[in-house]
Amino acid sequence: MSAVIEVSGLVKNFGQTRALDGLDLKVEKGQVHGFLGPNGSGKSTTIRILLGLIRASGGEALLFGEDPWRNAVGLHRRLAYVPGDVNLWPNLTGGETIDMLGSLRGGLDPKRKQELVERFELDLTKKAAAYSKGNRQKVALIAALATDAELFIFDEPTSGLDPLKEAVFQDCVREIIGRGDTILLSSHILRQLEHLADTFTIIRRGATVETGTLHDLRQIARSAGRDPDSMSLEDLFLSIYRQ
Amino acid sequence: MSGFTGTRQALLFALKRDRVIIPVWLVGLIGWMAMYVVSYSGLYGTQAELDALYKSVAGNPAVEAMSGPTGGLRSLGGAIAWDSTPALSIICAVYAMFSVIRHSRAEEEDARTDLLLASGAGRLAPLAAALIVTSIVLALAAIGFSLVLVIGGLAAAPSILLALGITGFALVIASTTAVFAQVTTKARAARGLVGVVIGVSWLMRAIGDTSGGTLTWLSPLGWVQETRAFWGDRWWPLLLMVLATAVTVRLSFWLLSRRDIGSGLIQPRPGPAHASASILHPLGFSFRIQRATILGWTAMLCVYGLAIGTIGDNIEGILESSSAFSEAFASLSSNLLDSYFASILTVIALLGAGFTISAVLRPAAEENRDRVALLLAEPLGKVRWVAGHVLIAWIASALMIAAAGLAIGIGLGLVSGDFSQAPTLFASGFVQAPAMWLTGSLALLLFGISSRLTPIAWGLLAVFVLIWTLASFGNLPDWVVDLSPFSHTPAAPAVSVSPEPLAVMTGIAVLLTAMGLFLWRRRDLA
Ligand SMILES: Nc1ncnc2c1ncn2[C@@H]1O[C@H](COP(=O)(O)OP(=O)(O)OP(=O)(O)O)[C@@H](O)[C@H]1O
Ligand SMILES: [Mg+2]
Repeated sequence: MSAVIEVSGLVKNFGQTRALDGLDLKVEKGQVHGFLGPNGSGKSTTIRILLGLIRASGGEALLFGEDPWRNAVGLHRRLAYVPGDVNLWPNLTGGETIDMLGSLRGGLDPKRKQELVERFELDLTKKAAAYSKGNRQKVALIAALATDAELFIFDEPTSGLDPLKEAVFQDCVREIIGRGDTILLSSHILRQLEHLADTFTIIRRGATVETGTLHDLRQIARSAGRDPDSMSLEDLFLSIYRQ
Repeated sequence: MSGFTGTRQALLFALKRDRVIIPVWLVGLIGWMAMYVVSYSGLYGTQAELDALYKSVAGNPAVEAMSGPTGGLRSLGGAIAWDSTPALSIICAVYAMFSVIRHSRAEEEDARTDLLLASGAGRLAPLAAALIVTSIVLALAAIGFSLVLVIGGLAAAPSILLALGITGFALVIASTTAVFAQVTTKARAARGLVGVVIGVSWLMRAIGDTSGGTLTWLSPLGWVQETRAFWGDRWWPLLLMVLATAVTVRLSFWLLSRRDIGSGLIQPRPGPAHASASILHPLGFSFRIQRATILGWTAMLCVYGLAIGTIGDNIEGILESSSAFSEAFASLSSNLLDSYFASILTVIALLGAGFTISAVLRPAAEENRDRVALLLAEPLGKVRWVAGHVLIAWIASALMIAAAGLAIGIGLGLVSGDFSQAPTLFASGFVQAPAMWLTGSLALLLFGISSRLTPIAWGLLAVFVLIWTLASFGNLPDWVVDLSPFSHTPAAPAVSVSPEPLAVMTGIAVLLTAMGLFLWRRRDLA
């Protein structure tokens, strides 16, 4: 089985700033892959390269075996994306925004959309300027979850959601996996990741530090002389990061 | 897969977003043209009246520098074309600039383009939609202009030529904007650069028209005039516009297909890790935010003043040799050149009032982008913060217009070797400041009510510009002329300055500003 996302030695410079410095990331089909790292370590930059929004300065990033910079539109039909900071068009309602975004891929399934709107309890008739942060994020989430994408890329998708909606999001993730689709999930909520993700990649200063399942990560911690079995992902992250 | 995928949806979406703005602009633009038709038909109904107009201004370099070649003034259509061309071309171009930026770079700056592209649109689609939606509005404006002229009783072919010339210039600016939108990261910076392009186009044709004409051909605005609607009807300069548009559109898409979404061609460089003391004071911080705009506007107005000064020398000669002009200006002053400079200073002040408005409204821009909460959550008073911006706007406006006056004097001195006029022109610049402050205070009052009303301030400035254009031909009732603060400014250096109107205008400006601040203190943040 080929990898859905395959990134190796990825480098990205912004002028004199080196945002990515040889990053590796591999996500197999059907996985929920947790993508972790401190602030400014390059998660969003990696994701924007995977979306073909910005171009890698070096290394290779492949999505479904293709170069996202060169075939962004074709690949976007197969994926859906939710950013952490959702800026919407102030004079459009949430409903209009979701429909507009959906129309770009030929329209959303109205039943699925309606169901998500009810589960997330979003008022579609409000103008974006009148939404709270969490509600803006729900607009982007519904627009993405209502698609039939094969790959979902989430960049801190729930940073503004209340705990109930957070639980709805987790259910949605499980449904996606039930369909055999794939998720790349970048988040700072480690307990969420621990529940949802099968494999993890931890990065730091633009380079991959560790990658593997929770079990693999525990092995690494063991070799560092700690008692790993009792460790949560949070403890692991902190111990790996502090090394 | 084509980069243009999704252009249709992006276009429909852009039209939807602009469903209010577009009709308002179209009514304003077409109404403006209608005003020219109505007022000229009323004033110059007979050939004798037109001949008199022709005799009084034709060939006058001061007038040509302002409004372009006067060869067509012997016919009603020619007179309308001559007067409407510069103002309407520039207004249409400004619309085109705002429209293209609004749908391209501004979207990217707020990271909304990411969402659109990740949903399946091609990377070229947003820019393509921005250009198409702008072209649609310009096409509608061209149809409206033609209809208004034809309904006003003018011949169809030259009417269409005039309409296409004016909107063709705006089309060139639209595609130029598309290029600049690829270069800068910030929408505001892109708009500033395009503003410079428009200003330089105007300036080059002003210099070209008074010095033989070569520079006119380097300016797209010059091409509009050179169509000579109603007195030569040349269609081929339109080809130059088509060509320029095609080249810049190609260039913009080429750049867009190569760069990172969210970045420009110029990468931001790292800056200092610690704030310099100058921005640790709220006023210093506000100045820092405004600094680039202040410097840009000052440079533009000074270059304009300098250029006007350098052609002042030969204008003086021509003015004195023509008895018709001497009579026209004699009512104002003993010195022809001084009256000319006074009217130029009014033009610079009207332009500069654009700066005053944008500087006074800087807090509104911050408010609209959600940054104000971050600032005002600190122990910084609401009123103090806005008052600081107003203070900066007022001081910068006054210094800017005075510097432009000084630049005229220096330009004149460079050519004639006599710099003695420079101090007087510097002082005459200050005389224009109260009218600029008053315009700015109207903007602040609107801001005090709601930052959503602030675009009206630009509409008011447009009205002042319109009043100034029409008033210079004496075809407006006095009470209308009196509505514009710029009508009350003494025509320094041509007349001795009486302090009363200046004091009254400053007083009103202070009062309106206080009211605006009061309302702002009481209202919610958006
Ligand atoms: N457009 C840009 N221009 C210059 N530098 C950038 C740009 N975008 C990102 N960077 C830099 O690249 C680095 C990585 O940023 P990125 O947004 O990918 O971090 P992140 O891991 O997503 O962080 P966070 O957890 O805070 O979201 C940072 O140092 C950032 O300052
Ligand atoms: Mg991030």
